[in-house]
Parts: sequence; structure tokens; C-alpha cells
Amino acid sequence: MSQSLRPYLKCVRSSLTAAISLSNFASQTAERHNAPEIEAGRTPEVILNPLVIARNENEKVLIETSINSIRVSIKIKQADEIEHILVHKFMRFLTQRAENFFILRRKPVKGYDISFLITNFHTEAMLKHKLVDFIIHFMEEVDKEISEMKLFLNARARFVAEAFLTPVSSFHGAAVLSWG
Amino acid sequence: MLLLEYHNLLIQTLLTERFNSTTPTSIDQIISDFDGVTFHVSTPESKTKILVSISVKCFSDLVKYGANDVLRREYGPYVVEPEVGYDFSIVLDLENLPATQEEKDELIRKVALLRRNAMAAPFERAIDTHHSLSTEAAKFTAESAPETSNSEVMAIHYREEEAMYIQASHDRVTVVFSTVFREETDRIFGKVFLSEFVDARRRAIQNAPQVLYRNDPPLEIRNVPGVKTDESGDLGYITFVLFPRHLTRQRREESISHIQTFRDYFHYHIKAAKAYMHSRMRRRVADFLKVLNRAQPEQEEKEKKTVTGRTFTRAT
Repeated sequence: MSQSLRPYLKCVRSSLTAAISLSNFASQTAERHNAPEIEAGRTPEVILNPLVIARNENEKVLIETSINSIRVSIKIKQADEIEHILVHKFMRFLTQRAENFFILRRKPVKGYDISFLITNFHTEAMLKHKLVDFIIHFMEEVDKEISEMKLFLNARARFVAEAFLTPVSSFHGAAVLSWG
Repeated sequence: MLLLEYHNLLIQTLLTERFNSTTPTSIDQIISDFDGVTFHVSTPESKTKILVSISVKCFSDLVKYGANDVLRREYGPYVVEPEVGYDFSIVLDLENLPATQEEKDELIRKVALLRRNAMAAPFERAIDTHHSLSTEAAKFTAESAPETSNSEVMAIHYREEEAMYIQASHDRVTVVFSTVFREETDRIFGKVFLSEFVDARRRAIQNAPQVLYRNDPPLEIRNVPGVKTDESGDLGYITFVLFPRHLTRQRREESISHIQTFRDYFHYHIKAAKAYMHSRMRRRVADFLKVLNRAQPEQEEKEKKTVTGRTFTRAT
């Protein structure tokens, strides 16, 4: 882990731990409704100030807190268009499986790549510190995965190109026929 | 299977099976190949006469550059009138096959290479032009050599949006492929692959043909009608420069076959890379799910007993 990643993740971890203190809160505007207030947004007094933790302009986390729900949005580093397309594909892959991920939001908040929505029902059913662990683990792994995929793509391209330019023919019966 | 084979495997297996079996059966099979090429293998008259027809999208282009001569040279005695809806047909008579097994295999191989041979005509012509130009250029000294020793550019529109351009000159043969990417991912992956093609020569294989890649049409083909200039960046031009050492008598057949597979090879590996990414993401998602599931407190499985003392598990 690089030197600047550690304090970044540590900051996210402690902010999340502090932010996930949720309680059940029935809607004040609609009877018998109990919606995540951060999504409904109809009751300003139960929504807290949002918080942005940024490592640099390309990597940041937005934490929006309310009385019964919190929304965590992550912007993942994308240095070039290969990383951009890989991140895009990977996130689409995840959001299509949002059902299984309970806390994953189907659509990211604008300006971010992926969003999680944690409500008081999630914290009641699941262990809070493990949820925080998951988000931190996710952030760590995603960067690693993207850069590994990029390296793999380059390596494969190199291998493929060299294989094409130094062909070994078996079909024509000759042992080794190279271009050169 | 890293490199693609030049022949059509299905035709090869089909004919091998037919040639080696003693009981003739009727066949009626349509076989698709790369670049919209279609084969039709059938037995219209009798079970012993196999008719193999090929339809190529750019056959009119190929004929212009001498495809008929090449095909007649390769398949001479077997050529018949083209079947309706196809461009070229040959008939193989099972009762009149070559005697030895080697000759039979050679015939099968030849038929399986039908697509390759049909497409080879412009390449052969370019290489022949190159040889005649180079002998001519050899008569001059370096100073007095004529500047414009380039022959015409041969355009082969082998796909809907993509074309191949071949030009011969006294010291090289240039082959330009135009490519279009339908999808953003393909475009970016393609770019990575192409830049490696361009670099490969510099890095490892000095004897390989030179590969160039650019988004606007190269100078050689800029005056050819139908060459689109690019606005969106989707269009790319890959240039292969074949040097005399690739065009010698021993090498030319191999070089022609090989360069023909370029587009299919290139796209095949883009697809393969995408498929790998896909399976990798799938694995990673399963991994994330496992971590998330750790957050759920484990349900303690208490052994439940009925009144009579038997154990009881709830079906979940």
C-alpha cells in the first residue's frame, strides 16, 4: 500500500464508522412510509452535511448522512481511457448484481463511479464494523484489479503482436517459417 | 490456438470423411467463413459428385485483379460454371479421385484453401509487379532511378465498411487495412493491440514487416476513390510494409496467407481479451460478495428436537 493510500483509507474508515449511527425513522411527510431520508430528501432537518474525502481530484469519496440512511459514493482512479473503460465495465458488472449486494445502489451518484446506500435496516441485520470493512476492502481491491487488468491487456497485446509477426507455420509443412 | 489457420476446417473434415468412406451420401451444407464468405457444399447430380461453391462479397474486385486466373491455375480440371448465387464452383468426382492418399490429402487441402486462393489474386499481382519493377529499377543507378515507380493501388472492399488496399513498388509492397470499430471498448482495446503491433518490430523482431497505424488515410491511398477521411476517430488505417525478403519465391505463399488472416486474428484476440476480462470480473464480484456476507452475523444452528426427542431441521 502506498504512503498516501493508507491515510486516505484510514480517514474513510473512521468517517464511515462515525457516520453509520442510524436509527429507525418513519417518514414525516407521508404516513406509514419509511424511506431512506437521504434518498427521499423531503425532510431537510434530518439530513446532515455531506462530506468529501479526496486523495486527489480523480479519487474521492462522498459520504452523505441522514438520520436513517447513509450514502457512500466512490470515484475510482482513471488515468487513461483504458482504465476508464475497465472501470466502467466493472462497475456495470457490479450494479447489475446489486440485488445480491444489498447495500449497492443501482445507479451511482452523478460525478462518481459507484454508490452504496446503507439504511438502518442493513445495520440492524449486519455487523456495522464488517460493513465498513467491506467498503474499505472494496476500495483497495478495485484499484488493484483495474491496474492488473490493464497490465494484462498490454501483456496480451504484446504477445499477440509478436506471435503474428513471427509466425510458425505448421500447415504448409515447413518446420519454422518466419517473416525474416 | 494462437494463430488462425488459413484453411477452412469444416470443408477439410467434410471432404476427408467423404474421400475416405466407401458409401457415398448426399450432402447439402452451407458453410460460413470470415468476412462474409459463404461456401455451399452439395451433391446436386449424383452422390459421387461433390459441388463446392464459394461466394465472396468482393468477388468483382478480385476478378478485376486476376482472381479467375489464380483460381484456374489452382483448380484447373475441377472448375465448372458457377452455381447460381455463388461466384465460383468446383466439382470433385469421388469416382475419379487421385490414386494415392497423399494426392488426395493435397486435393483436400487445396479445396479447403479456396477462400485464401480467391483472395490471393491481388497479392500475387502486387508481388509480380514488385519483381518486374525491381528488375527495372536495378538498371538505373541510384541517382537516375525514376521517382514514381509505384503501381496503381488495388482496393478490395472485402467487408461492408472495411477495405484492403495493396500497392506494389520497386522496393516494397504496401498493404493497408482500414478498420472500423463498432463499440467503444473494441476501439480502445484495438488501439492497445495496434500500438503493440507497431512496437513489436522495434523491440524484438527486426525482420518483421513494418507496421504503421494512423487515423487518417495514409498518403498511398489518399487519392483512391471511396477512402473516407475520419472525423470521429472510429476509423483507423493499418499499414503493413512487406520488404523484398518477405516476397521471395519461397516466402511469398506464406506471406500472402498470413497477411490475409490479419483482420480476423486481430479481432479474434480483442474478443478473447474481452472474454477474459469478463470472467475475471465475475470472479472478483464473487469475491466481494463473500466479504460482504461476512458482515451478516452467523445464525446459530441450535439442534431442535420434537416432543418425542427426534431431531428436527427446518427446510430452508
